[in-house]
Order: sequence, then C-alpha cells, then structure tokens
Amino acid sequence: MNDMTPTREQREAKLEGMGCKRKRVEDIRFTQGKGNYVDDLKLPGMLHGDFVRSPHSHARVKKIDDTEALKVPGVLAVITAETLKTVNLAWMPTLAGDVQMVLADGKVLFQNQEVAFVVATDRYAADDGINKVVVEYEPLPVVIDPFKAMDKDAPVLREDLAGKTTGAHGPRKHHNHIFEWTVGDKDLTDAAFRKAEVTIKEMISYHRTHPSPLETCQCVCSFDKIKGELSIWGTFQAPHVIRTVVALIAKIPEHKIHVISPDIGGGFGNKVGAYPGYICVAVASIVTGKPVKWVEDRIENLTATSFARDYHMTTEIASTKEGKVTGLRVHVLADHGAFDACADPSKWPAGFFNIVTGSYDFPTAHLSVDGIYTNKAPGGVAYRCSFRVTEAAYCIERAMDILAQKLGMDPAELRLKNFIKAEQFPYHSALGWEYDSGDYHTAMRKMMETVDYAGLRKEQAALRAAFKRGETREIMGLGVSFFTEIVGAGPSKNCDILGIAMFDSCEIRLHPTGAGIARVGSKSQGQGHETTWAQIIATEIGIPADDIMVEEGNTDTAPYGLGTYGSRSTPVAGAAIAMAARKIKAKAQMIAAYKLEVHEDDLEWDIDGFRVKGLPEKTMSMKDICWAAYNSVPPGMEPGLEAVSYYDPPNMTYPFGAYICVMNIDVDTGVYKVRRFYALDDCGTRINPMIIEGQVHGGLTEAFAIAMGQEIRYDADGNVVTGSFMDFFMPTAVETPHWETDFTVTPSPHHPIGAKGVGESPNVGGVPAFSNAVNDAFSFLGSTHIQMPHDYWRNWKAAKDLGVFA
Amino acid sequence: MQMNDSQRIPAPKEKVWAALNDPEILKQCIPGCQSLEMSSPTEMTATVVFKVGPVKATFGGKVMLSDLDPPNSYRISGEGSGGVAGFAKGGALVHLESDGPEITVLHYDVDAQIGGKLAQLGARLIDSTARKLAAEFFKSFGEVVGKRVAAGV
Repeated sequence: MNDMTPTREQREAKLEGMGCKRKRVEDIRFTQGKGNYVDDLKLPGMLHGDFVRSPHSHARVKKIDDTEALKVPGVLAVITAETLKTVNLAWMPTLAGDVQMVLADGKVLFQNQEVAFVVATDRYAADDGINKVVVEYEPLPVVIDPFKAMDKDAPVLREDLAGKTTGAHGPRKHHNHIFEWTVGDKDLTDAAFRKAEVTIKEMISYHRTHPSPLETCQCVCSFDKIKGELSIWGTFQAPHVIRTVVALIAKIPEHKIHVISPDIGGGFGNKVGAYPGYICVAVASIVTGKPVKWVEDRIENLTATSFARDYHMTTEIASTKEGKVTGLRVHVLADHGAFDACADPSKWPAGFFNIVTGSYDFPTAHLSVDGIYTNKAPGGVAYRCSFRVTEAAYCIERAMDILAQKLGMDPAELRLKNFIKAEQFPYHSALGWEYDSGDYHTAMRKMMETVDYAGLRKEQAALRAAFKRGETREIMGLGVSFFTEIVGAGPSKNCDILGIAMFDSCEIRLHPTGAGIARVGSKSQGQGHETTWAQIIATEIGIPADDIMVEEGNTDTAPYGLGTYGSRSTPVAGAAIAMAARKIKAKAQMIAAYKLEVHEDDLEWDIDGFRVKGLPEKTMSMKDICWAAYNSVPPGMEPGLEAVSYYDPPNMTYPFGAYICVMNIDVDTGVYKVRRFYALDDCGTRINPMIIEGQVHGGLTEAFAIAMGQEIRYDADGNVVTGSFMDFFMPTAVETPHWETDFTVTPSPHHPIGAKGVGESPNVGGVPAFSNAVNDAFSFLGSTHIQMPHDYWRNWKAAKDLGVFA
Repeated sequence: MQMNDSQRIPAPKEKVWAALNDPEILKQCIPGCQSLEMSSPTEMTATVVFKVGPVKATFGGKVMLSDLDPPNSYRISGEGSGGVAGFAKGGALVHLESDGPEITVLHYDVDAQIGGKLAQLGARLIDSTARKLAAEFFKSFGEVVGKRVAAGV
C-alpha cells in the first residue's frame, strides 16, 4: 500500500453517508434566491384568478351580480357555483369523507369562504374585479362556541346533510354532529375509576391555530386542449394524491394529468389537502384555454385554508395514592369547522389521537371523540405533527402534571414511576398501538441530570418562599414534558388515503461513471430531503452522497408516493430508499463476483465496494461495478443498475423525547422569560445530526409560538380577529428563546436503517413543556389548569384571578 | 362594541332637535360622508368612506330614525355594506337634556357591529376608531349647530 491509498476513515468520510453533518445541498440555491417556487412560474399568456370571499360567517347568498365586474378592463370571467355546476364541480370531496363547497352554493358557512372566482389578465385587474362583484347576503345566526353546537335549538349549518343520520364514520347524533369515534374498553375503565383511590378531571383545550407556512398555498393550471392534458404546478405536500383526486373528480385520465410540486416554502400540514383554489384554476384554464395562476395572500391563508387543533379534551386519570396510574378516560369535542376536511388517513376520523396514553403504562383506557360542525374554516390538519398526536401529547402531559399536583408528587417522579419499561417493548397500549421500541427512563434521567433538575426545584422553592414574603413579584415554573410520538403512516393494514395504501417509494438509477439519480415519492418542503436521502444511499451502496441527485415532486418521473407529512418521509420513504439501494447492492454483488471470479458468498461489503473474504487486496469498488453493469454483466443478466422499491411499513415508528422548560413570569405584567429550554430527542438512527438539530430548532420555535400566543380566534359573530401577522403570533429571532438539544439513540427494530422520524417531535413535545412551565409557575398560588395560549395578557389575567393583586 | 358619552352644545334643545333631523347637517358632520338623502321622513340612504387601520372602503347603506320623542330623543340606526371590506351595522340612542335655555347636553349610547375584513384587520383598532369617529361626529355636530344658532339661523 503506498501513501496515496486512502485510509478507511478517508473512504468513509468521502461518502458523507449516515451520521455525517453534511451541509444541505439545497441551501445553495435557497440562500442565493435561486429557489423555484410556484409563484416564480410565468407561462406565456398566463391569467390570474382571485376570490370574492364572504364577510359573513353564516349567511344565505341571495344574489351574485357580476355585471360591473365584467366591465373592469382585463376581467375575463367571474366563476360562481352556478358555473361550476355545469361541470359538476360546485362541491368537492374532502379527504375525511365529507363534501365541501368549492364556491358558495346558496349559503356561506364561514368568514372568508370562497364565493366567486374572478379571472383576469393580471392580478390587479382580478382584484379590481372582486371589488365590483356585488353579493347580496341574508345573515343567519352563527355557531361559534363548540360547546353550543349540539344544543337542541342550535342553527342548522349543513342543510345539504338534512336527513342524513349516517356520515363517513358512522351515525350522526345531531344536525351539527359529524362523527363519534370510540376506542378502548369502557367497562374496564369505568371499573378502574370506581376503584380508584385518587382521580383527577380537567377540561384541557388545545386552541385553534394555523400552520401558516411563509409561502401561502398556490397553484398554476394549464390545460392543453389539443392533447387533452392538464398540467398542475402547486404547493402540494402530496403531489401523487392530488393527481389521483383530480383524475377522480375531473374525469381526466390520470396519465394525462401532470402534477409538479416545485420548491415549497414550508408546509407543516397546510398543503396536504385540496382547496377550492385548485379546482377554480383548473376549471378557469379549461374554460379559457390559457394557463391560470392562483396565489393566496396572508389573510386568505390564515382564515380560509386548513387550520390545526381546536380539540377540547375532558381528561380523567385514576391512580393509587402512591401515584401508580390505573386508568385514563378522555372525551374530545373536536371542532372541525364548516366542512370535515381533516387530512387524516381515511379510517381515522380523529387521527392517531389514541396515542393519548402517552409514555405511560395504563392498564386500561377509554377514549371517545365527537366531531362537530361550526361556522369556522374547515381543516384540522396535522400542523407539524403526526395526525392529532400533538393534541394527545398535550392532553396526557398536562394531565400528568395535574395528577402530580393533586398527589403532592414531583411531576418528573410521577412520570418515572409510570413509564413503560425498556423491557416491555414491543409494548401493546390499552388503546391499541404496538410501540416498537423505547428507553424512557434513560432519556428522562439524562435530561434531569443535565439540567440539574433537583437544583432547579430547590431554587423554585426558595423563590416561592420569597414571593410569599413579598420580596419578589417573580414566579418560576419548570415545564416537564415526556412525549411519545407515533409517526410513519403507515402500514397498509390500517392506513390509506381514499383507498390508496400509505406506502412510499424510491427509484434509484446508477449511471456508468458511478453517479446516479434517486427519485422518491416524498416531497420536501424544507426538510432537506435532497441532502439526507443521498446520505442513506451513500452508506447503503458506497456511492458518495455528492454523486447522487435526489428528485421529488414530479408525478411523471417520481414513483407513486403518498407525500410528506406526519413525519412519514424517513420512516416510509427513507425505508424505500434503503430497500431500493439494497436491491442494487445485491445485483452489484453478483457483478463483482463475476468480475473477481469468486462465488458471491465469498464477498463481503467494505464501505464503498466488495472485497474477497480473507483477501483484502482483492476488491471491486462500487464505481467500477457501475461501469461493469453497462458492459460486462454475467451471462444471462440484464445490463444496467437500477431498482425500484415500494415500501409498506410493518408498523409505525415511535420517536420519544424528554423536554424541560424553565420559565420566570412577572405577575404584575404577565411578561415571561424562558430561562432555559432543553430538548432531548430519540429518533432512532440519526441520518444527519445537523439537519436534526435544525428540525428541532424549527419545531421548538413553532411550539413556542403555539403555546405562548399563536391562535386563530373568532369573535362572537364569527369574525376571525387574528387574520394577519399583526395579531397572529409569528415569533422572530427577537422573541425566540435559545434551544439546547441532546439525544439518545434507540433504533426502530423494524425499520431498515432503524430511523424513526424527527421533524415534528419538537412541536409535539414542546407545547406541553411551555404550558406545563406556566402552569407549574402558578400552581402554588392555587391554580390547577390555565388554558393556552399563555400570552402576557392571559398570564396577567391568571395572576389577577388567583388574587395576587389583592 | 358599545360606548357612550355626551356633548355640550350651545343651542336650545329645539334647535338641536331640528338639526338632528336635518340631512344636510348630518351629512356635514358624519365623518367621511359622501352623500345622504332623505327617502322618507325617517329613512335616508347614505354613502360613507370608512377607514380602519389599513382598510379603507366606501360603505353604502340605509339610515333609519325610530323611537322618535321630539324634541327629547330618538334612535338612529343603520347598516351598510363595504363590499370586500365587510359590513357594519349599529345604532345610537340620542337623548337631549337642557342645561339652561341656551345649552343642550346631547347624550349618546352607541352599539355597533362590524364584520369582514374590517373586523379581521382592524380588530385592535376598531374600538378606538369607532370612539374617535363618534366623538368627531358629535363634536362637529355641536360646532355646526352652535354656529348656526350664533349666526341666528
């Protein structure tokens, strides 16, 4: 061996495979303003569409007069429900099995609902046209408070459902009821509560908020009348699903629909579903024969496209005096707005909310969820979380703190006492899940040691004593959160969207010179797939990550995939990538054996190629195998080196983490200061630690926003009063605290590379950490639960209600 | 939204009452009023330019007078639509009280409801804007009536 021969370490480093803090390759274009987003698309002759929206949250539409609008120079058409009825598109199906108006058909059911679509030669003309459309409304009484939606005399919202006593998920109990979903053993749970030594009960609300990606939802459609083909560029988190939905509802053959998701500026669940804008631009393009663009503005995005949360969770825990939990009972009132447009796997009307037993060994549990209609925007998407998992984690983590308070126990100690033990995995939860792996005690103890938990409690006790002596007006809270997520939807046995199993896919094609392309069914919205997917392939087949191009988002070239949301990309698409790579590796091994004139079994893998066992100098690199695949394959073998994998996961993955927030609050002003935030995540095998850290920072920042102020709030008349960034809390670097990140590694036993997904964990675990910190701070003054969001005013109000100004 | 306040006007009660029923004077005093026409003794149609924060819109609507008790009190109410900017409706109970022969105190009690973009964007500005507009109206109303009386009209 001469000095020029690279060492093993050098060969491995060159791959930049799994575990490497590889810099994000997509950032080269993003940081130079060279990203290519939907709104960058400018097609010749392109028209622009924009909506007339309802100022009322519930009203009959008596008349739409477009006479003056059509006189505006540049305005070409005003599309209404009547126009859409001619092509049977006035209503569209939702992912949740409901139907939704594309444009107001007879009445409007939420403020800013789409009423008419004005098509013009430019955006300004479209806007002028909107101002000239005269709509005559007859206001109707509204249903805003979800707790009043099922009152006997509550106004009927969905007249189209009159007489329908059964919905997509079973019987409907009331004209504003959508579904009831129950899981668990009711009798056993009721018995546990009867026998319980200690019980707690609290109505825990997770308020309505919005994913608010900085790039709003947008779409360009271009219909080629000659070929009968429809091209759609859009901000789609799941482009293949959009293609299938369009084929089903527009009756265009699926092979003549081309869906392209270019670069996406954040999705967070907001860009999963189908919106009236998509239908309207498609119809407008078919009608005019020209490309048509629709781009939402901020207010439209916040007030009309999919919201998140709005779960009102009445939660009860039964326990022994020593703090061993014996039962959990939860009833959720789920406010879905005017149409049930939740983006959950089809069989799951409340998503995976039955992960609500969390990280604890509950012997029995019972859950019931009532979905209801109100005069609010439709949605209910998973905002940076797996389906309804944030709600579940918040519910159980808040409830455990409330139980600890009632028992007079430390909340961390109560958690340690009730955790599922490492040796219990795979663990079958009382509400039906099989947790694949975990080591909760190790993670919790690492968190407690790192932050000196005991020391912080002492400091808190001293500060409380000083407060009571009147020496300070500051209170201190420790927010402990230990979450278990359920991600990677999902196994075909229980997960589908409109009947399509939730697999994902990858196609890898290696070129003669040892470079290649990987096309994947997922779709990055900023997660860094172009970087991490190549790293998986680099480790699996020994081709440097830099030599692999990753492509997503074009339904003509990418294999069918279900897209990116619910932290499913790494658990599902990531597995498909590894499996496709392994198919290539198997063929490569046959080629190497033939070229090295040995039996396949005599070869072993060595970083970037094969070597003959016992003869380490007899090797063939993957790069050389690539070349050989195109000119000298074994007799009878097809040339070329490519593979496709469609991966149907055997189970979900269960990432977990231990978070703590240390916060001080000034009771006189409500102003809080996050002194420390520590987040330990266990996402199994770590593909790119730098990207994980970035994902955790982003998720924590969103968790901070939601817990401490971000909300979609309606006044009593149904006006959205937080419809712009003036009122909707969007934290910047100024407000955002400093984040400390840490990890443990418990690989998933069933995933090809042991990875579990991480992008959403910090949002799931972060919100309860903040909220528990606020609640923990106030608890010694006599409160048990203060509802989110905890902005300054509400903190001040909490202090006032607790009598600290008396 | 509700508010109430009062305005001292240097004019006898009957003069103030007459002015309260005079569309020309109302038009002069309603902030942003473009037109105000009597369609019956108790009904008017109006066009008003209204601005809250970043939203500015022309509202067209009806104004009605009811519960008339000359020359002591009436209720003035209205509703209007500003197209994409939203809608507004509301009313004011106006009550006159003499404080000597030459001074009238005008009490007003307003309730108003606003919807649409105005309410969304201007939520935090609506209260202060509405207070300002009401104050502006009654202040200029007081001035106009006071001047007319001083000029012997």
